[in-house]
Amino acid sequence: MLSDGHIRFLIIANGLILLVAALLSKGAFLDPYNFQSMATQLPEIGLLAIAIMLTMVSGNGGIDLSVISSANLSVIVAALVCKALFAGADSSAQAGWSFSVLFVVIALTVGTLCGLLNGLLVARAGYAPILATLGTQLLFLGVATVLTGGPAVILGDIAPLSSIGNGDLLGIPIPFLLFLAVSIGVSLMLSRTRFGFRLYLMGSNAKAAHFAGIQTATVTLVTYTIAGSLAALSGIISSTRSASAKADFGVSYLLIAILIAVMGGVNPSGGYGKILGLALAGVALQMLSSTLSFIGANDFLKDFMWGLLLLLSIGLTDSSLFKTKPKPAPS
Amino acid sequence: MNKKALLIGAGIIAVAAIGAVTYTSAQRKWTINTVVKITGIAWFNRMEQGVKEYAKSSGNNATQTGPAQADAAQQIRVLEDLIAKKPDALAVVPMDPATLEAVFAKAAARGIKIITHEADSQKNTLYDIEAFDNVAFGANLNKRLEKCMGGAGKWTVFVGSLGSKTHNQWADGGIANAAKNTKMQLVDAKQETADDADKAYEKAKEIIAKYPDIKGFQGSASTDVAGIGRAVEEAGLNDKVCVYGTSLPSIAGKYLETGAVDGIGFWDPKDAGIVMNKVAQMVLEGKKITNGMDLGIKGYNKVSVTKGAGAGMIIRGAAFVDVDKSNMKSYPF
Repeated sequence: MLSDGHIRFLIIANGLILLVAALLSKGAFLDPYNFQSMATQLPEIGLLAIAIMLTMVSGNGGIDLSVISSANLSVIVAALVCKALFAGADSSAQAGWSFSVLFVVIALTVGTLCGLLNGLLVARAGYAPILATLGTQLLFLGVATVLTGGPAVILGDIAPLSSIGNGDLLGIPIPFLLFLAVSIGVSLMLSRTRFGFRLYLMGSNAKAAHFAGIQTATVTLVTYTIAGSLAALSGIISSTRSASAKADFGVSYLLIAILIAVMGGVNPSGGYGKILGLALAGVALQMLSSTLSFIGANDFLKDFMWGLLLLLSIGLTDSSLFKTKPKPAPS
Repeated sequence: MNKKALLIGAGIIAVAAIGAVTYTSAQRKWTINTVVKITGIAWFNRMEQGVKEYAKSSGNNATQTGPAQADAAQQIRVLEDLIAKKPDALAVVPMDPATLEAVFAKAAARGIKIITHEADSQKNTLYDIEAFDNVAFGANLNKRLEKCMGGAGKWTVFVGSLGSKTHNQWADGGIANAAKNTKMQLVDAKQETADDADKAYEKAKEIIAKYPDIKGFQGSASTDVAGIGRAVEEAGLNDKVCVYGTSLPSIAGKYLETGAVDGIGFWDPKDAGIVMNKVAQMVLEGKKITNGMDLGIKGYNKVSVTKGAGAGMIIRGAAFVDVDKSNMKSYPF
């Protein structure tokens, strides 16, 4: 694990950021509440980054630009349906549970369908992923705006639904536990299953994968569908955290999610990417952002620092300092 | 003997402790963070001036921050980080009040006082501050228009959209004011301009063609007067037609210079910034804001306090700023 130059860079970067943050805030940054707060903020973007990572790994210029629109559409449909069905219901615990379960099921279903549509456009219709998902991004945003008319749909404080975004287990925020579970699950899927092997192979060389008998269209379809489900999960977390669902909520997350994926060492041209790198990059960005908020810096400085970190991650891991693999001999 | 010494000792410690507490509370500097919708735009830069002015005059640690992108999600993240830092109070201009209820509840649970601005539907706030009553603001614009028109003639009012709550309240306030004067004749009321200066320009041209003797226009969207001004200027009616509306000097300034637009109205975000922080300080000091109170800022000298959407209250000032060619330079935003 430590032989990976990228991962090593990210571990060092995390350590440095933590150290500087602790010094600048005179220790206040190390308050457990602050770590809880950061652990609540990271998952919704982290899940989007995992969705984008999977599509990037699939190669062929893979990317999912529609993740945020899918997330918002999923929770908006779920919120509208649940609110309509439970309009006259009492506020009993049982009604709360049925509302919550139905909300999650509908949101995940809609998200999965959004992903399936992306997958069909890319794998079956042969659209370039960037164009297909740019189109669906606007399509989903449009549908969500028409459904809500623009303003947020208010979810309110419904137990146990709101604990998905706001609750904690032994002090660890539930969003973070979900993110951890998904990270481990996806990591195992990529490293231990046949699907993961095929995905990496297809991303490295689609032609070779095809001639090796891999159903590349099916692998692509499944990848985009999973991305849609992950987007919906992110939407469930953010909507329960804000107790509302809004068509344009988090539109500025898209580039951050891409940034996390790329900084985590995911190869945008496919075939390579590890969850561990992505998670470390996500943590680094979150700590950096919280540090700057903590010391009262201008929010634009945050964007600047993130960009700087990305450039450093590319520059330094490419230099001899972090490089471990020898360059292939010229043939 | 021992008991007595113990008692005296305890007494001294208690007095010292009380003294220390009162000393620190008298010396206590409050930390108040103002969080705006988006940083780096003229409107909120102006508000920051107010926050800085307040910090200087009060000695409290008051600063302004906000997301770099106009996205409710980013505003939540900024608030989450600040809540972890635990300031004494947060003064927030919500991007969308509904999305902030949960994070405000979290802040309140951590003992942070919440004050909002432009969010009269917010539930989890102690005080929401509104610069003015919208109907009164519309009536004020119309009074200025009426005066300019010499108290007689045909006039009309534009709105951005019929669905916009504030625009309609402003228009209705104006219409109600003009209805008191029988010589003021309202024609083709509430044309929609879609918050688009070009649409306002086309509508104004149509009105001028339909009513060559039109004397006055009242705009609602900030772009309305710019469009109307252009149409009036092209028709060469700068001196004959009066144009008033909600706008900002940065949008309407060009036409104020030429006289195509005669006056605009708005509220000064700088004052709103000061008032938010002042109210936050009063809340921290355990004071209540009551109906008719003077908050010491022009336009907030006799505020109205009414019940809000939640447990909190809504504070309304009468802080409209009347701007024309003569004083537009004092409002560089």
